[in-house]
This record gives sequence, structure tokens and C-alpha cells, in this order.
Amino acid sequence: MNSLLSNTLAMLWFAAPGPAQTGSRLILLHPVDLAIVVIYFAVVLGIGLYLKKYTKSGEDFFLAGRDMTAWVAGLSFVSANLGALELMGWAAASYQYGILAAHWYWIGGIPAILFLGLVMMPFYYISKTHSVPGYLQLRFGEPTRVVGALSFIFMTVFMSGVNMYAMALVMKVVLGWNIHFSIWVSSLTVGAYVALGGLYSAIFNEVLQFFLIWFGALLIPILGMIEAGSWAGLVARIHQNFPQGDYTHMWRTMGHFADNPMGIHWTGIVFGLGFVMGFGYWTTDFLVVQRILAAKDLRAAKMAPIIGSYFKMAVPFIVILPGLLGLGLLPFKLVPESAVGVGQHSYNEVLPLMLARYCGPGLLGLGITALIAGFMSGMAGNVSAFATVWTYDIYRPFIRKTASDNHYVSMGRWCTILGVVISIATAYLVMQFGSIMDYVQALFSFFIAPLFGTVVLGMLWKRVTPAGGFWGLLAGSLSSIFMFLLVKFDPSKLAYIALSSHAKDMAENMYRALWSWVICVIVTVAVSAFTKPKPVAELTGLVYGCTELPSEGHLPLWKRPIFWAAISAGLLVILQWIFW
Amino acid sequence: MESKPQKNKSGGGGRTPIVAIDVEDHKPPEHHMIPVWFFVGVILLAYGLIITGTGIYEFSNPPATVLSNLHPTLWWGAILTIVGGVYVYSFMPRKS
Repeated sequence: MNSLLSNTLAMLWFAAPGPAQTGSRLILLHPVDLAIVVIYFAVVLGIGLYLKKYTKSGEDFFLAGRDMTAWVAGLSFVSANLGALELMGWAAASYQYGILAAHWYWIGGIPAILFLGLVMMPFYYISKTHSVPGYLQLRFGEPTRVVGALSFIFMTVFMSGVNMYAMALVMKVVLGWNIHFSIWVSSLTVGAYVALGGLYSAIFNEVLQFFLIWFGALLIPILGMIEAGSWAGLVARIHQNFPQGDYTHMWRTMGHFADNPMGIHWTGIVFGLGFVMGFGYWTTDFLVVQRILAAKDLRAAKMAPIIGSYFKMAVPFIVILPGLLGLGLLPFKLVPESAVGVGQHSYNEVLPLMLARYCGPGLLGLGITALIAGFMSGMAGNVSAFATVWTYDIYRPFIRKTASDNHYVSMGRWCTILGVVISIATAYLVMQFGSIMDYVQALFSFFIAPLFGTVVLGMLWKRVTPAGGFWGLLAGSLSSIFMFLLVKFDPSKLAYIALSSHAKDMAENMYRALWSWVICVIVTVAVSAFTKPKPVAELTGLVYGCTELPSEGHLPLWKRPIFWAAISAGLLVILQWIFW
Repeated sequence: MESKPQKNKSGGGGRTPIVAIDVEDHKPPEHHMIPVWFFVGVILLAYGLIITGTGIYEFSNPPATVLSNLHPTLWWGAILTIVGGVYVYSFMPRKS
């Protein structure tokens, strides 16, 4: 989900000349800072080398031996989603839009993550599938798997390349680093440690990166709140600096599209973001689901996303709060990237500016390491998921059906390198043709929302047929592409797609996702009504009502996933109430 | 409670036929891999020592940052050192 906005935000970096082009830099690193960055690269490579000896079978390389505890899988699950662009992009969004940006973390994430843990994970886990496209094959057959696998592969390497370029550009703007140096060093490091240790290595490093991101970013809100005095003090300062807008309430301005700077109505947030896009991303994007499939048992697989939900709920305190602190405490106003003049800074620079405001040598290196760690965790997620889907969902069923386990592991290692190379090539392609960025977010939304419709229907309703699943997925994706092109060529149609001509790009994406999901569901149900379902015996382990789910009745209350999920949901409600 | 099915070690993408599965796996791990928490401890400890040292140095050469009078470098370095040290001690590989 957050990848969606971060890519949009990444586009902003291309919009106009910033400090990099004028030869300046925001932050100057000292030798102690560079030492911290170098130690980080040495440790992640060391972990990859150490884990190589444990990566012997396909199950080890692609699913970390299904050996991870709930905590390790849960932290990895959150970390794979917590890229550097997330940190910088969302801090920028909160400076621009205020606390509204937290919707993407709270209602856009938590309900979906809890649903994944409680409802969907048992079927992913019990079916012993290696991937989400693998589940599509088991439930609907090969054609649906091919659609799911190819769209995922395409999206994954493309996203990885786009994010890589955007990150390198960030490093150039913030630190003055050479863009080619940033691309090659960081991506080859990721390629090396994932190729060596597979998902084991990716997960270990993601847990490490999780700690570095938190320790690197947490000092900004702590010192910021000390400077502001209190939440009330911060709100007062924001109102003093920006008396015309409401930056500190999440729902009060959602009554009409024109009442809030995002141009979004509450129905778009609740149904488009909270339901379709949030559920689509968190429950069907293999990049995050793969981390949970590595859990050591069913309880760990259910608990991992629930544990992750607590940390996901806390992320706004290191991402959104720094943006709000920027609104209240910075002695100058930031401007849109397209309006940056000499001596001015853009919204995108709010996080590095706050970092430089509070952090001297040492802490600065830790903060920059957090950004690099965020980028590398996201990229490792992309390439490890790419290698798994290619090897198990394309190569094995269609290119080489019978080969030894070692052969598939070897293919996975080469695929990891290939994924990195394609990502680098994509990064250079974007460097040449910046307009590609305009289509990235739309591309992502074409497939995720309908895929959620297909998977959730297939998982919860045994009457859905293979033909229904395939045609529903195809119709949902094609209708999404059609709606995108319709508005592109005739902007007046926005009033029909997004229900208002005031709707902004983000609102359009949400409503388009909602309609494509609805179309997917309608087509799936309609086609299923006229085609023959699979026998119940073939749906065992795949569908609710055909699968014997193990009882948790013998576990004490505090060990049951539902107990912790209920507390997480309760905290979400309290946060909405506090910041209403 | 049904027994846990065998892991599919064939390397294939297919699945082992499953009817039900244990909610918890009580089988001890087959390998003696160093836990990830140890690596976390090592890097936090290393960073903590470096940043604490920098914080001490900053008593005589304070940085030009807001609230530098609170010595955040020193305190944050100390917290990293303590957290890293606890993790290293708790998860250090020991010969059984």
C-alpha cells in the first residue's frame, strides 16, 4: 500500500531542479558517520556469507526453511514494507497534507493485516504453497497462476528499479553522493546477500534493518516533542504558522472532496483505501506474504502479521510526526518541488532537514544508515519474491518440470542476480525517460485490487470455479486499465470514476481500485454460476468450509492470535478517536 | 491433534497433501544457527560504543544542532550500547 504513494512521491523528485542540481547538499557526513555506514554494509554482507551454509534446499532458499518464529517473521513482514522512500515520502506528505497521511498506515493497513493473520493466513499456510500465484494455481488452475505470476514479476522488478533510482536521487540531493555509485553499491550488496543466503538472509537482514530504522529515526520525534513542549504546543505552533489549514485532524475534514488538501471523501478512504487497496496489498502482495509463509508453524504464521500490526501502527510516530514537527518548528516554509527557488527547500526534504536539525555527527550516520537500510530491505523483498515466483511459478511448471532440488536453488540464486540487473536497467531507463514514473502507481493498482477479489472469493466460497476466478481477475485488471486510459484521454470522466471533478490523483486511484474490485467480484460470481466448480475433495486445505482448521481452544487466552488482534484493533479505534 | 506433515524437500512448488496441521510446532530446530537477535545486538553494540564516544567528545566540541545542550548523542549512544549489550549477552552462541 505504502509503495503506492511512495512511488507517487518519488515522482516529485523528478519534477524540478533541487539542491542536487545546484551543487549543494543538505547534510555533510563526518568520518564517524561514514564509519557507521561502512559497518552496516560489512554486517549485512557478513550475514549473507554466514547463512549460505544453511541454504541447501529449495525450502531453505525460498522459504527460509519454514523455520521463523512469529517475531522474526512479523518484524521482517513490516520491514520489507518500510522502505526509505516510505520514510521520506510520508514525512513529506504529512508536511503537505498534515495528519491525513496517517490514514495510509492505520485504516489503510491495520484492518487488512489483522484479516491476513486471522482469516487468510491459515489457508496460505496449510496449503503449503510457495507463493501467492502458487495458491492461485491450486485453487483456480494454471491460467490464473500465469496471470498472477507474470503481473507480479513485471511489477516487482519495475518497482524495484524505480525505487532504486529514486533512492539514488535522494542520496544525491541529501548527501551529494554520485547517483551511479549509490545505485551500484547498494543494489549489488542486496544482490550478494540475497543470492548467498536466500530468504534466510533477506529475513535476517530485514530484522536488523528494522532495528536500525527505528533507532535511526526515533530520535527526531523525541527531540521534536521536547522542543514543542507537548502535543498541544505543537498543534498551537502549526496553527500559528499555517492558520488557513487543518493539519491535525484525521476525519473532520473528510465530509467533502473540497474540504481537505488531499481531495478525498471519507468513502474513498474507508472503502477504496481501507478496504480494497489496503486488503489488496497486505493480503495478496507476495513481497510481504512470503515473509509470513516462512513461519515455523500455523500459530506463528497467524501471530506474525498481528505482531507486525502493532509496529505498523507505531510507524507514524517516526514518519508522520516528523512532518508535523516540520510544520510547527522549522523557521522557514517548505514549498512544492516544482516551486523550489534558490535557498528554498521542498516538502521532500523535511525528514533530512529535521535529522540535520537535531542530530550531530554519529547520530547523523545512524539516521542515514536507517534510510539506506530501509531502501535495502525493500529491495531485498522485491528480489527474493521475484526469484521465488519466477522459479516456482514460471520456470518449474513451464520450462523445466523435472529437475533436482539443487537445480532450482541454483536457478533461484541466478534469478536474484538477474532481478538486481533488471532493476538496475530499469533505474537507468527511468533516468532517461522520467515520464515512466507517471505510470508506475497506476500499473501497481491495475492488478492488486482485482487479485484481492479473486483470492478472497476463492478462499471463502467453495462455489467459485476455476473459470470464474480466471475471468474475474482478467476483467478486473482490464477494467482498471480501461478506466485509467478513459480519464487520461478525457479528464471530464473523472467525475464519474472518482465521483467528483474535485478528486485528486490519489482519490482517483482509490475509486478505480474499488470499481475494478467490484467488477472482478461480479464477473467471478457470474461466471461461476454458469460453470462447474471443483469437487470439494480438491478444495481441502484451500477453502473455508472444506478445510479442518486446528483448534486453538487448548491455548491460554494470551497465546491466542484473536486476543492480540482484538487489542490491536482496539488501539486502532482509540487512535482514530484521539486524532478525529 | 494430527501429526505435522513432512516438509516438502523435493524442491518443487507443489504442495504436500494436507488435511490438517498442528497449530504449534514443538519439534526442536534441526540446526544450530546463530539467532538473528545476536546479529542485532552486535551492530547495536558497535554503534552504541561509537556514538557514545562521539557524545563524550561533543562535551568539548558541541555540534551546532538544536537541543545539543541535552547531549542526545551521548544518551542515545548509551541506550544503543545497553540494548546491544543485552542482546549480545542473551543470544551469544554458547557451546552446549
